[in-house]
Amino acid sequence: MTNDIFVYVELNKNNNIRPVSLQLISKAMQLKTKLADSKVIACIISYNQDWESISKIIGNYGADEIIIADDEKLSLYNNSLYPEVFTRLVKKYEPSIVLLGATTEGKEIASYTSTKLETGLTADCTGLDISQDGKLISTRPTFGGQLIADIMCRTLPQMATVQENVFGFEIKNNNAVIIHENIDLSNIENKVELLSSKYKDSSPSDVGTSKILVSMGLGAASEKGYKLVKELSDTLNAALSGSREAYEKGFITKSQQIGQTGKTVAPRLYIAIGISGANQHLTGIKNSGKIIAVNKDKNAPIFQHSDIGIVGDLYEVIPELIRIIQADNKEE
Amino acid sequence: MNIVVFIKQVPDTNDVKWTENNNIDRKNMESILNPVDKQAIEAALFFKDNYNAHIYAVSMGPDNAKNVLREALSMGVDDAILLTDSKFAGSDTCATSRILSALIKEKLSDFDIIMFGQSAIDGETSQTGPSCAVRLNIPFITQVNKISKLSDNELYLTSDTDEAIREYKIKIPCALCINNYSVSPRLPKINGYIKAQLYDIKVYNHTDLALSEDKIGIKGSPTWVKNVFKNKEGRMCNFLDFTLDKSNCYNEILKTVKEAKINND
Repeated sequence: MTNDIFVYVELNKNNNIRPVSLQLISKAMQLKTKLADSKVIACIISYNQDWESISKIIGNYGADEIIIADDEKLSLYNNSLYPEVFTRLVKKYEPSIVLLGATTEGKEIASYTSTKLETGLTADCTGLDISQDGKLISTRPTFGGQLIADIMCRTLPQMATVQENVFGFEIKNNNAVIIHENIDLSNIENKVELLSSKYKDSSPSDVGTSKILVSMGLGAASEKGYKLVKELSDTLNAALSGSREAYEKGFITKSQQIGQTGKTVAPRLYIAIGISGANQHLTGIKNSGKIIAVNKDKNAPIFQHSDIGIVGDLYEVIPELIRIIQADNKEE
Repeated sequence: MNIVVFIKQVPDTNDVKWTENNNIDRKNMESILNPVDKQAIEAALFFKDNYNAHIYAVSMGPDNAKNVLREALSMGVDDAILLTDSKFAGSDTCATSRILSALIKEKLSDFDIIMFGQSAIDGETSQTGPSCAVRLNIPFITQVNKISKLSDNELYLTSDTDEAIREYKIKIPCALCINNYSVSPRLPKINGYIKAQLYDIKVYNHTDLALSEDKIGIKGSPTWVKNVFKNKEGRMCNFLDFTLDKSNCYNEILKTVKEAKINND
């Protein structure tokens, strides 16, 4: 067993590296400094990519080595093949820590690999650190976000998944060593067949990457409320998101839902409109730069997690606010 | 055809009670059927309605977890099994998946499909289903929101994830994790309710499942909790009362918006 940190690098539909993978590499570089004789190894599974430019991007964030599993059968994610390939690479390289994004793909691979290796896995972590004796400390909310737990693993490798935007990026400009791995896939039976795949449209300003988010909760969950929130987000050139209640009421899609069962976001500004602030929602917004909350109820928990709290009726507050911002946009 | 649906009793996290020492007061909290597990039961009943399948509901937990099993029975599930043993306490996902898959191997080996809710509100790990599938060496699909048909031992279904909607064909036996299921969970009928009250729930412990003690519970769990603390993160809120001073509210918001835009690199 080495002291190395393995990071699974995931590609999105356009074959770009998902931000969470680069954020994990940045985090792994920090963890590495607390471990003796440790390397950060990025592992990527796909087919016929522009490996040189992908490796360059990964290297920019600091990985020491990049392991590439390239095979025609791996051109699309498949939960029979990818998890098995990843498991074999973990077995071969014997890292002591294995990190993956808490995406559908990352979670499936993490479950598979941890079970095959009979080791521990901590999901949806919000913090990672190294203890004095060199073990991984995985911090995660539990009990619907009411509690925070530090979780340790007594077996190796220690595995964890992390949501997008929980960690930031850090440029390192490493020259990573590239290793191509040939994996024999002939004896892996594929029992799942993908018949069709329809990617969801991401709005011009995507919820995960937008610098400003305007977010609606139960208090705004009416036709009139939605129109106001939408107009405000358009005026600000921001993305529109919402709470679980807004999703359940059908005003936003799953990919716009913020919170522990939705996305974790880190915009520069988060504007919460009619959101009371359930813990599971707060978990998803705590990395935001500034938070403004508009709510009728002065005692709504959201205010304890906001920088500016407007106590007022959103149907009175928002229309005038839209006009003011529109006027300001014109001045510029 | 045999379907096994795993369900979990969870504390109602919308109604958390605290002890004086800032610990969760589990004794005084309501327990409920994990919400998405109700969707998994509905999805399991698809196979009873259309293919005359026999449905087992299984839960692991203390004796009062029988309540969620009775809820499943009242919806139309045929049989219910409770896995209960003080030795199971403290099991993490790894140990839990050992226990659940041991039940399948020892008692329900003629299963065709095992089903789960995508995640539990008290843990949210989404790992138990895939992990059981791996132990049983069967394929799995997560985020299943629609089941279309079964034909020649192959199941056609739809999975709705963050980034895409995908249609799959999967060979049975297999495992499915259900989320945002297309059909709302049915309400119990009066006969179902009566049957559920009269039904004698089967109970198994670790010896029934041929599990050795060092593979289960706290002892058998690779992960352990070092610290737990109350989530107290917060910010200092600058409260502005809209009814008292509107223009101050707007000035502050506009200032903050502009700051965010300047940083908009």
